[in-house]
This record gives sequence, C-alpha cells and structure tokens, in this order.
Amino acid sequence: MIPTEETMRRLVGHRFPGGQYTIEHWENFLLSEATGVEPLPDSLAHPVHLFHVPINGVGTSITELFALAEVDGSSPVSIDYYDWSIHEPIREGETYSLSGGIAAYERKESDGRPTVDSFTYEIDVTGEGGDLAAHVAFRWHYWRIES
Amino acid sequence: MKVEVGDSIPSWTMENVTPERMKTVAAILRDPTPIHWDREVTRAIGFEGRLLNQSPINLGYVVNMLVAWAGPTCIRRIRTEFPVPVLDGDRATAGGVVKAIEADGDVRVAECEVWLDRDDGTRNLRATAWVTLDDEG
Repeated sequence: MIPTEETMRRLVGHRFPGGQYTIEHWENFLLSEATGVEPLPDSLAHPVHLFHVPINGVGTSITELFALAEVDGSSPVSIDYYDWSIHEPIREGETYSLSGGIAAYERKESDGRPTVDSFTYEIDVTGEGGDLAAHVAFRWHYWRIES
Repeated sequence: MKVEVGDSIPSWTMENVTPERMKTVAAILRDPTPIHWDREVTRAIGFEGRLLNQSPINLGYVVNMLVAWAGPTCIRRIRTEFPVPVLDGDRATAGGVVKAIEADGDVRVAECEVWLDRDDGTRNLRATAWVTLDDEG
C-alpha cells in the first residue's frame, strides 16, 4: 500500500542522530581502486567518499533511508541529483563530525505512471578544527509500484 | 596550464566496468541494493542480467578526469544528475568543457560542464563542476 502524502511529508525536518566518521587508509585504497585510480597523494581521500561517509557517519544508512520512505530493497529507487560543496580537502585519518536530516519532500502523480516520492537529504561534514569541510545534498526518487 | 573558456578537459576512460568492483563498492558503502550484485534482479527489471554500477562510482570517473586535469584538491562543488545507468561490461568515458571562469579573490574558478558517456554515445551522467585553477590566468 502506498503511504499517504501526509505521512511522508511529516518526515521533513527529521534529524539524523549525528556522529563521527574516520576514513581508514584501506577504505580509501579500495574505493579509489574501484574508480580506477591509485589513492591521491598526501592522505587525501577520493572525493567519492562524500557519498557514504555522510550517510553512515550521520548515523543512518541506505537501508534506514529506504525504511523511512517505506520501501524495501526490492523497490525501485533512483537518484535525481547529488550536490557536493567541498570547502576543505577530505583526508583519510581525520575524524569528521556529521549532522543533517531530511530537508524536503515532494510527491509527483500523473495518469498512467507510478507515484514518485522524492526526498532531499542534506548533511554537513565538519573537520576536527570545527570548520565546515563539505556540505552534501542529494535527492532520491522512490517509485511506488503497487503489486 | 593556461585555461580559457571553451577549452576541452582531457577525457578519462574506464575501459571495463566490472562486477568485482561493484561488489567491493557495495560492501564499503553498505549498499544492500541487489541491482549491483544479483543478475536475477536486473534481468527482472529489464537490464538483461547486467549489473548496474553504483552512481557514486560513475561520478568517481568524472572526478578522476577533473583531478588529472586541475589537481587533487581542485573540486569546489559538483552537482550531478544520472539519467542512464552504467552497466557491467561498459566502457565509459568522462569528458568536459569550460563554460565560464570567474575570480574569487586571487583564485580563478572554472565552471565546467562535464559528463560520462558510453561508447554508443549514451550519456550516463551530466554535471556542473566548479574547479579551482592553479594557472597563470
């Protein structure tokens, strides 16, 4: 059953618990290799870490984001956009503090097409010195396919 | 490097998108979505059993291109959309062009239109990137 629009809209303003994340060398090595390159010099982390470090570090997970939107792993979820602002280089070995939540929600309905619920998430990545290192925003589409 | 509006960014190619890398990434990201490792699932949703590459990794190819061009800390902001998935076995090439250059204090920042294309011309990713230039202006 498709959750009501009102139920989904109540999630706007939801704050994740917050937390910390330290990128280990092995993680930077493997993720860099997965993109086809060796790790960057001077302990720089590959910027692609700005996908999972905010999600896992802020105290949530892909699984929980799906659950909040009331879908499971078999439901179609697509990505609308990522928007990453990088204020300081992200480095392995540095412990980042993460804070953020659900910033926006929209339901789209049209004749003959599945209902789509779109959630925008925003998370701040703060370095050990207290300065904002990065801000990430991303919007995912949850397709409501009734079986 | 002297960068000007209209310059093309040297391309970067992932020669072969492999399922082994997707599985490694799924574990690191703690991404339970079976489209990255279960061919039965991707067969059922119309991808003929080919696995779908993780979107952050597609973006990673574009990042690799920008880093090779302008240095490891060059990216200030990147806003990315993913119209079509990249599949295992694909050859994907990142490209881009400089659309504008503005000064931010003593630093020049290039606004770049960037993308990731499959060999058949399908555009898998399109993005706008703002990149710090370490050049003579």
